[in-house]
Amino acid sequence: MSFDYHEPTSLREAIELGARFGGDGRFLAGGTDLMVQIHRGRVDPRHVISLQRVPGLEAIAGDGTISIGARVTHRRLERAPDFQGALRGLIEGARVVGGHQVRNVATVGGNIVNASPAADVVVVLLALDARLTCLGPAGERTPALDGFATAPGVTGLGPGELLTRASFPRLAPRSATAFLKTGRRRAMEISIACVAARLTLDADLERCQDVRVALGAVGPTAMRARAAEQYLEGRALTDAAMLEAGQIAAAECRPIGDVRASARYRALLVATLVPRVLARCLERVRPEIS
Amino acid sequence: MTRIPLSLSINGQTHEVLAETHRTLLDVLRTDLGLVGTKENCLEAECGVCTVLVEGVAVNACILLAAQCQGRAIVTIEGLAAPGQLHPLQQAFIDHGAVQCGYCIPGMILAAKAYLDESPEPDEYGVREALAGNLCRCTGYQRVIEAVLSAARALRASPTPASPETAS
Amino acid sequence: MTQATRIVGRSVPRMDAPGKVTGTALYAADFALPGMLYGKVLRSHEPHARLVRIDTGRAARLPGVRAVITAADVPDVRYGGSVKDERVFARERIRFAGQPLAAVAATSLDAATAALAAIEVVSTPLAPVLDVAAALSPGAPLVHEAWAIYTALPILHRAGNVCNRARIVVGDLERGFVEADRIFENRFTTSSVHQGYTEPRAAVAQWDSSGLVTVWSNTQLPFEIQTTLAEILQIPASKVRIIVPGIGGGFGGKLRIGMEHFAALLAMRTGRPVKVMTTSEEELTAAYARQPAIVEVKTGVTNDGRLTAREARLWFDTGAFAGSGPGVASVATLMLAGPYRIPNLLLEGFAVYTNKTNFGSFRAPSGPQANFAVESQMDIIADALGLDPLELRLKNIVREGEEGPTGQVLTAVGLEECLRRAANAIGWRERRPEAGRGKGIACGWWTTTGGSSGVYIKVNPDGTIALNTGAAEIGTAALTGAAQVLAEDLGVQLTDISVVSADTLSTPFDFGAQGSRTAFAVGNACRAAVADLKRQILALASKHLGVEEHTLALREGSVAGEGKRATLAELARISQASGGGLIAHGTFVAPPTAYDAKRVEGHVYPAFHSPSFHAHAVDLSVDAQTGEITIHRYVVAQDVGFAVNPSAIEGQIEGGVAQGLGQALSEEIVYDSGRVLNANLTDYKMPTALDVPRVESILVEHPSLVGPFGAKGVGEPPNIEPPAAIANAVASATGVRITSLPITAEKVALARSACAP
Repeated sequence: MSFDYHEPTSLREAIELGARFGGDGRFLAGGTDLMVQIHRGRVDPRHVISLQRVPGLEAIAGDGTISIGARVTHRRLERAPDFQGALRGLIEGARVVGGHQVRNVATVGGNIVNASPAADVVVVLLALDARLTCLGPAGERTPALDGFATAPGVTGLGPGELLTRASFPRLAPRSATAFLKTGRRRAMEISIACVAARLTLDADLERCQDVRVALGAVGPTAMRARAAEQYLEGRALTDAAMLEAGQIAAAECRPIGDVRASARYRALLVATLVPRVLARCLERVRPEIS
Repeated sequence: MTRIPLSLSINGQTHEVLAETHRTLLDVLRTDLGLVGTKENCLEAECGVCTVLVEGVAVNACILLAAQCQGRAIVTIEGLAAPGQLHPLQQAFIDHGAVQCGYCIPGMILAAKAYLDESPEPDEYGVREALAGNLCRCTGYQRVIEAVLSAARALRASPTPASPETAS
Repeated sequence: MTQATRIVGRSVPRMDAPGKVTGTALYAADFALPGMLYGKVLRSHEPHARLVRIDTGRAARLPGVRAVITAADVPDVRYGGSVKDERVFARERIRFAGQPLAAVAATSLDAATAALAAIEVVSTPLAPVLDVAAALSPGAPLVHEAWAIYTALPILHRAGNVCNRARIVVGDLERGFVEADRIFENRFTTSSVHQGYTEPRAAVAQWDSSGLVTVWSNTQLPFEIQTTLAEILQIPASKVRIIVPGIGGGFGGKLRIGMEHFAALLAMRTGRPVKVMTTSEEELTAAYARQPAIVEVKTGVTNDGRLTAREARLWFDTGAFAGSGPGVASVATLMLAGPYRIPNLLLEGFAVYTNKTNFGSFRAPSGPQANFAVESQMDIIADALGLDPLELRLKNIVREGEEGPTGQVLTAVGLEECLRRAANAIGWRERRPEAGRGKGIACGWWTTTGGSSGVYIKVNPDGTIALNTGAAEIGTAALTGAAQVLAEDLGVQLTDISVVSADTLSTPFDFGAQGSRTAFAVGNACRAAVADLKRQILALASKHLGVEEHTLALREGSVAGEGKRATLAELARISQASGGGLIAHGTFVAPPTAYDAKRVEGHVYPAFHSPSFHAHAVDLSVDAQTGEITIHRYVVAQDVGFAVNPSAIEGQIEGGVAQGLGQALSEEIVYDSGRVLNANLTDYKMPTALDVPRVESILVEHPSLVGPFGAKGVGEPPNIEPPAAIANAVASATGVRITSLPITAEKVALARSACAP
């Protein structure tokens, strides 16, 4: 079915249109989710509100707090000079999404709002304690990314609200990030399981001072492996400890079996990928020792 | 269904089209403009046969609304080289046996062009990664990769001046 | 290669490449006519149901809709290959989810889609027959209650849900097993996989005022479609014209009727041209994908590795209609024997009806399934006996002059060379170079399908050549190969030749682009035509130059002798002015291969013609925890007889292996309760450029007695061995034997964790 097409030129206009059309309207960013859902008959909007001329949504900026505009594409994310170091996990999450054509247009904001439990960049942002900025008719709010998605495809975004950016605190010293995913093929793949971690070591570079472990595709939403995190905090990061963290994470995740993989295999992957992603972070924090 | 007037820049030429708002760029190219060099298949951004360049960047035309494309320079396979001439990529695909049924080839060549434009000294992995969004069922990709690497060498040796069609 | 040749044997660029790289080559999916309407097919959601009623009234009244047709609007015809059990639209019974129920034609695709949604279908679901086991269980519902009254090839063995049982019996099976020291019994299963061509099936149909319908479609078999469509429409075949503008991949999925009948019927109803094209969803639910299979192999062997007997059965889930099933079940029996000397055999292939789409022919039909089973078992046997898998094979492979399983005498048997060279190339001496890494080998044989081909050749006034062939170029460069043969024989350049192809009205009959036969048969037809053309040329030159014919020779575009000369161009112009032009005709049909008819029953394909032989070897590692497989090297040694165009053949091998690796590792059409769960390219996982390793091709040449310059068919074989080669390498690397396809990382990982102490 056809729809009315709108191209607002300001944030205010975009929100106004979103509020006006409510459930009959959809924002269009890269289109890699919306257009596919329209093609499959899953969604049939009366109004499509393109964001391509709305300014203020494309910056990657920040010092103390780093913010990524909602319309930043995976392509720009993967090339961002700021993320080449300790924030490398963001690049690793961005560059395995789809192929070049998809990454050239697919946005971080679209990825978050689409709320697929397998969304790769979301998992990394979760491990970075990201907060979202949502702008709506009632004003601006900054919910945490953690808990923003409540079910596959369902978020806390209110009527007329637009996600404008994701932000996260700058990493503490002695920190690194990493991301790993598996699928049935090496590209164009929705993760069977993916894992991101942000690890901060203590001053002696022996023990975990602080850690975040986030999992994708093993629950109704991307999720934190909190029990694994608690286990690791303050602990020396031996191989055995990282393996144990993997087991704990595997026990706390809630995978389903579907056409892509069984629940059992997904749990096995978590148990395997968590230690590997932690080891990678470790290598990055203290390359001389590893 | 409302039709809106669209002014589209394809291969350096402006086309005035009247199309429903929900029509994709792919559909308008093939049906309204007769530019069937850009192919259709999955219509879900999974196979890459519909790859075109929008401002020099490779995108799937099947998920791009025609309405989104006003004022943006689009290049299709028909605009890669002047009539009667071949871009080094096209020549390399011929020379290296990279073409079998040929249906994926226009998309493959444009994806390769976008990649070489920003990575003029690629390695094999880089080429494979750049073409991972273009499915080919005939070739197993091997000669396609060789053709792209060869074209990269040729382009480094004698750069192609940007034709009006391909300048973004 | 011992012959000195000018053009054949060289890796010349294919003739149609420039059109393809510039986007000017036209495919059926691109084809359009003025005033054309768009057609779409309504397909059932139920896998098995009684069709009570279809109401099309509301749909027909929607804006832009010009026709809505159902079974009531088409002749009451059952058609089909070996069993006539198919209809255009379901009549009283729905037999698979995806079966066509109705079709619409409208002024736009959107209007056609809206019309589909407005058609009301009332049906009563019936318990579906979900798989082979269900179909064969006692008291199973019959997918075709009236199976016994269907017209079918008399040779088939049909009963209830079995639409054919093909069988090979050799020697004394019981004695063969008694002679064995060890007996191995293994079971294997394979999933359905789709050909994955990137161009959807498409057809545009238009009727003229004389009652002739022309259909432009991407069929691999224009002449077969002509016959089938004529049967469906109940008109003479001469009133059906099929033209193939271009095909974006076929791999067997475009052999049988696709959209042509819908387009023709809608065009007839509306009086306008109609285009019908499939979607990815239709391809993955209602196309001619590869049959899922269950294979049981029981093999007897002596302690020193000599095969004494084999009893094997392969059950194909052939879906709701017989289609290619009976033929594929026949071929399967030859593949179950493998290229081995086994004196006592009972081999059976079953094609079984279920409530799924009627699966079809996919590149080397039955090959990967049967080969996966028997070649996996060879390694199981080798392992148990403590023998090298390569040595076990070399001990048992057939040799020159020996018999195939149906008694045919095998010639040009290049298998030993293939095995040794593949093994050498992969470094077979070090089969387990490190932990988690292993090498695997698999070998097989295949046919070059017979059937006839005709060509016309004419000389243009400028001395260039037009080659007129009924064959369709599906991407294999077969027509370039045939043109190379023509150029070689006639003494012209490849660039002097233009090809006109695949029009049932204006091109000669061709059995079609199937069974790896096109370059072989069209090439030979060209040789016959050139012989005829040369006679005409020399006769004309003799008359024109006033010298005796036997003093003249044709070389490099000129006829010369006794100091006189005439170019082909001159002769062509003379002939055009005074004799109607230099036009020659050539035909070829492969001579039948003798076999022992007493050994076969229900068998539609009792011998492999000009057989090819091949060996694949792979070196891979398996991630100890995730089970993910990384291929380091993949080697193919294929006996091609004579490599007409080495680069084109290598391209076939590289692509065939990629496609075979898809079946081996990642592809499967997943069914649940008779419905496809992954009917899109997101979840049907074909290999991308990051998934396919480099393939090293070794072209082995044991020239066939029949093929042009000794060539054999090359296109299908590379699809056969990858699953077995991978399974064997994974077993070598991990000790884990996976007996079902695809061999996913999940299966490997879970099998290992099950084995773990």
